[in-house]
Amino acid sequence: MNILESIIQALQSIKANTLRTVLTLLSISIGIFAIIGAGTAVSTLEGSFNTQLVAMGQNTFMIKRTPSVNFGNSWRKYRNRKDITYQQAKEFKYQMEGISLVSLHNETDGYTAKRNNFFTDPVVTLIGADENFFVVKNFVIETGRAFGMSEVTSSAPVVIIGNDLVVQLFNGENPIGQFITLKNQQFQVIGTLKSQGSMFGRSLDAQAVIPLTVFSRYHSDEWTSSVEITTKAYSKEQLAEAVDESIGMMRSLRNLKPWEDNTFEVETNESVSSQFASFSNYLQVFGLGSGLISLLAAGVGIMNIMLVSVKERTKEIGIRKAIGAKRKWILFQFIIEAITLCQLGGLIGIFFGVLAGQGLGALINTEAAIPVNWVIFSIVICTLMGLAFGSYPAWKAASLDPIEALRYE
Amino acid sequence: MSNPLIHIEHIARTYEMGGETVHALRDVSLDIFPNEYVALMGPSGSGKSTLMNILGCLDTPSSGVYTFKGLDVNEMTDDDLAEIRNKEIGFVFQTFNLLPRATALKNIELPLIYSGISSEDRKERAIKALEDVGLGDRMLHRPNELSGGQRQRVAVARALVTKPSIILADEPTGNLDTKTGIEIMKLFQELWSKGNTVILVTHEEDIARHARRIIRIRDGKVESDTINPNPVTSFEIP
Repeated sequence: MNILESIIQALQSIKANTLRTVLTLLSISIGIFAIIGAGTAVSTLEGSFNTQLVAMGQNTFMIKRTPSVNFGNSWRKYRNRKDITYQQAKEFKYQMEGISLVSLHNETDGYTAKRNNFFTDPVVTLIGADENFFVVKNFVIETGRAFGMSEVTSSAPVVIIGNDLVVQLFNGENPIGQFITLKNQQFQVIGTLKSQGSMFGRSLDAQAVIPLTVFSRYHSDEWTSSVEITTKAYSKEQLAEAVDESIGMMRSLRNLKPWEDNTFEVETNESVSSQFASFSNYLQVFGLGSGLISLLAAGVGIMNIMLVSVKERTKEIGIRKAIGAKRKWILFQFIIEAITLCQLGGLIGIFFGVLAGQGLGALINTEAAIPVNWVIFSIVICTLMGLAFGSYPAWKAASLDPIEALRYE
Repeated sequence: MSNPLIHIEHIARTYEMGGETVHALRDVSLDIFPNEYVALMGPSGSGKSTLMNILGCLDTPSSGVYTFKGLDVNEMTDDDLAEIRNKEIGFVFQTFNLLPRATALKNIELPLIYSGISSEDRKERAIKALEDVGLGDRMLHRPNELSGGQRQRVAVARALVTKPSIILADEPTGNLDTKTGIEIMKLFQELWSKGNTVILVTHEEDIARHARRIIRIRDGKVESDTINPNPVTSFEIP
């Protein structure tokens, strides 16, 4: 007997008991949904995250007061760390000269940029930066120019603006040489940034970059007084060495005793990804765990529904045996039926899981990835479930005595 | 004389029921030859159903010898018996026993599916069998869309489609009115005259009268085994 025939048969018997079947399928769907949903969420976040990491550059690492990704209660550990002051950072930069390229910057959120009657949304990130910032951070100048060391030292009121500001404030006009206002301070636009798209649903083009000296004087508050240091090693080979060098230098600048822990974070691409990976692992383990528990419950449901089905179709089994069905045909038929049931539930779960993932992607404005691995995993799991929980009912069906079964009403 | 299709020698069948041994068949010996038309008669509890189950390879005797076409049935596994039922025996039941969700055509195809016939061959043979019983226009009807007589014709077509050695009919007219019953008996008469071997199991004298040989069972033994001197051959439908 061919598989197709059995699948059609299975679908017919599902149709004959729609409500009962749907209820059982629901639990499979929920289990698979949890697995696929978590998988899609992780793939989507990972995809978006990795794109940004690549953009950041391979040989770059950052020194900052607190880590950029943290979850759980770990923030308590970081709360009392002292700021990395502008003075410390400047000294660091000076000492690292010749070893690697260092950029200092600081940033704050929620600014509104104005020009005449034009306003932007209050989501502009104001970045205070030094002259190395653009090279080290891969901020590409689209038109105009970046500011130089002299403009940083002299606290020149100049600004380089992101694409969102160009669009919202200038409406097609050439922004170079024009003035904009940021928190009551006038800046002359000397350059524009190449569009960077968005990350986790936030536009990366709502940015304005001003000299760090100006930022520190007028725009830093207690939350944003710690300077972030970004260091770019001259080659990949020199990265590890540069990291070691930087840690030593920062420790001495912050007067740490040899037995004290670092009071700053060094983040390479790798360490950020691993922080992120541990977060996404939690999510995946959670999805997988809750999914598997629900699938176990679903499996018991499948076995139950199959046992009922065997009981109800005793006569049918008797007829089939009387006209010459061997054990293996009956076994095969009921196992295929169980697998079909599981696959159907699984497909519904996959569909809604992927849909939920796409929804999340749309919400944070990133393209959602379909977690192919997890989809394949789900299909395999459903097959194994059908096999595991369908075998006993199928064996029961195959072992029925044909005479008894024929007599059953 | 040719070799018997069925050779039974001193078979007995006992069941354990609630600690008691029930002797359904005690000592039965008989031979059935190709192209015989046999009626197996007896009141309920006589053991005729047990005998039919054994003849139909649904059950095996507790003791004695049963050879089918020279093969020792006692030695067979469940799957061997299934194969014999599939290829050599065509069952027709009192309650038709069609699959309710399958069309007439699918019902007839079923034994062919189990004997591993390709799907085109299957369909062709099933259509032919259905036409032979006069239901060529009812192929896609489900059992509940057919009358009792039509259902039994489908069952007969299903029994015939594998070209079995024996047609084994258990009270085939039991659920039919007299007129339809006679139609079905006419069908068996035709099958027999075309060379098929037919075994009828019944408790009705009227039905048994169609057969050429009548075996009466009582208390698990053969009471009489006689040639029917006046078989019914004309079919006047009242």
